Amino acid sequence: MDKIAQTFDRLKAKNEIGLMTHVVIGYPNLKTTAAIVEAMVEAGTDMIELQMPFSDPTADGPTITKANQIALDNGVKMRDCMEMMGRLNEKFNIPFLFMGYFNLIFNYGYGRGNSYGVAKFCRDAIDAGASGLIVPDIPPDEAQEGYLDACQQNNLHPISVISPNISDVRLHKIAKVASGFVYCTSRTGTTGRPEAIEFDWLNTFLTKAKQYIPVPLAVGFSLSKREHLERLRGYADVAVVGSYMIQLFDREGIDGVRRTVRLLKG
Amino acid sequence: MNPKMITTMPDERGHFGEFGGRYVPEMLAPALDELAEAYEKWKNDEQFQQELNDLYRNYSGRPTPLYFAGNLSKQLGGAKIYLKQEGLGQTGAHKINHALGQALLAQKMGKQRIIAETGAGQHGLATATVAAKFGFDCTIYMGEVDVKRQATNVFWMRQLGAKVEVVTEGTKTLKDAVNAALKDWMWNVATTYFLLGSTVGPHPYPTIVRDFQSIVGVETKQQILEQEGRLPDYMIACVGGGSNSMGFFNAFLDETGVQLIGVEAGGKGIIPGGHAARFQGGRLGVVEGYKSYFLQDDDGQVMKTHSVSAGLDYAGVGPQLAYLQQQKRVQFVYATDNEVIEAFRRLARTEGILPALESAHAVAHAIKLAGQLPQDKIIAVNLSGRGDKDIFIVADYLNDQYWKDFCARYSEYGLSGEYDG
Ligand SMILES: Cc1ncc(COP(=O)(O)O)c(C=O)c1O
Repeated sequence: MDKIAQTFDRLKAKNEIGLMTHVVIGYPNLKTTAAIVEAMVEAGTDMIELQMPFSDPTADGPTITKANQIALDNGVKMRDCMEMMGRLNEKFNIPFLFMGYFNLIFNYGYGRGNSYGVAKFCRDAIDAGASGLIVPDIPPDEAQEGYLDACQQNNLHPISVISPNISDVRLHKIAKVASGFVYCTSRTGTTGRPEAIEFDWLNTFLTKAKQYIPVPLAVGFSLSKREHLERLRGYADVAVVGSYMIQLFDREGIDGVRRTVRLLKG
Repeated sequence: MNPKMITTMPDERGHFGEFGGRYVPEMLAPALDELAEAYEKWKNDEQFQQELNDLYRNYSGRPTPLYFAGNLSKQLGGAKIYLKQEGLGQTGAHKINHALGQALLAQKMGKQRIIAETGAGQHGLATATVAAKFGFDCTIYMGEVDVKRQATNVFWMRQLGAKVEVVTEGTKTLKDAVNAALKDWMWNVATTYFLLGSTVGPHPYPTIVRDFQSIVGVETKQQILEQEGRLPDYMIACVGGGSNSMGFFNAFLDETGVQLIGVEAGGKGIIPGGHAARFQGGRLGVVEGYKSYFLQDDDGQVMKTHSVSAGLDYAGVGPQLAYLQQQKRVQFVYATDNEVIEAFRRLARTEGILPALESAHAVAHAIKLAGQLPQDKIIAVNLSGRGDKDIFIVADYLNDQYWKDFCARYSEYGLSGEYDG
């Protein structure tokens, strides 16, 4: 059984809401990214998304956008991302997912050997131990063109990202291709602005989404407190904490990250 | 290629062959669906068309003239050069065409706020203008680099009541302004109309912008038939994202006797980071919601671009143009910064017309081509905008002492310093 399914089984058995944290590979540098991940794992995070830095991170707010830029300024390449994924999987047993924008996958491996692109990325990612891919700019309409097939052939979960403003028709479409889990944003907008979340409204949507979607639900955007996780319990299976982790690291360093992950896990 | 295939493009999901599409976060899907539906509903509505035509005519000043550049043609000694004078319309560039069309659409859709990205500031200016006219709340995103080099447009946009947000992310140019506008849209997706300024971005934008610009080519066809009794042999337009070129070419796509030429920004020459010629070293990619050619490194990171003209300083190109290039219907060439400034000065001296630096790319290629052709050939050039906005760039490029002195005195004493010495 794959690591993602195992994780959800374990969470269910303990009746716990899971935690997925996030790092940008190469922020503030490669060595520190690895140290942050280590602290997160030690403190009990259930899954981690490793964001591959991109020049044009369209769905990200200022915090993650800046981290992307700094990582690229540090000279971080896709090769480094794969290596990081490989090394972390040797060391730790939780699911790691690649998060990133489609162009990085679409052009993966260009100039290195004959074949490049989505299929090659998926092969290398599974070899490096990745459990799934979170690609916000590949909606189901376009994903039919090779992306879903390549994921499936390589046993990688293509994690769909949805938002509460989704139409029923499109929710149906997503439900058909859902694999691993579905990532639902807590609101519209980009990542990283601390916003008051309208939990009643969100949970009503999650209840509806659950009726369509046959896999677990993750919820992210603007989550930062244990209390947020408590509010989502019973409606979502995993809470995602992204930008806040970076802000925390900037303010309080790795110790702050470790302490907060413990608090979030309750 | 079946010519009819071109004019009926794209397919229902916005693909031009393998290009185009809609690669956006799911949260934008409802807004793009709503836009596509509204556009389908209104585009053939007689009253909508009437209102738009009235705006084109009486607000913007259409039709713009097709002017025979007799002096320039004579000097070059070859083909006859005609100039489609888009710079004579309201706000001084073709951008007003798709701004009016989209503003009318936004009004029909009941939106109260519009946002836009801008490079040269011409699209921002056109958007701020229609926002003032239609009474929309308006925010324009503009890269910090462009804010500096197109300061006059920033000033005018603000006078028109628009908020100009300076984008300091990434390369601080057009692509980053597009990203910033997309992000704003994600936050305000229910209330806001994103008035995109070129034939780029996710479906249905490349189609909408092309259609609202196609009036340029339709007029050109009629005007050249009136003046010459036949279609031109060549049509030349500069290409940033593709709004002026697609507008100019669209009515001629099926006229296979007319050679269509797009001119990209050659900048300092074809060296990495030194130009914005996507068909010189660009590669297929998916960025900012669409699949097309992008200047990018081996990892797929979008590269820095350079052009003397802010409006062509962009790493991507419209999906339909990528398709037309692949099908060999449009040929792509480039002009360097030096050639562009040369063309700017030449057109000014021979015809008394100051072209926008973007448009001067098309002029530069026409100058190269005309001399090699016999005198019975006809070239039509889309002069997409006028050059007033480029005063700082041209003066800087030419190191003009008079203008530098004026600016120095002005910053110290204001206008009285200028007049009183
Ligand atoms: C006068 C003028 N021409 C051309 C362009 C390039 O854009 P497009 O390729 O969409 O026509 C611009 C863009 O700002 C412009 O202002």
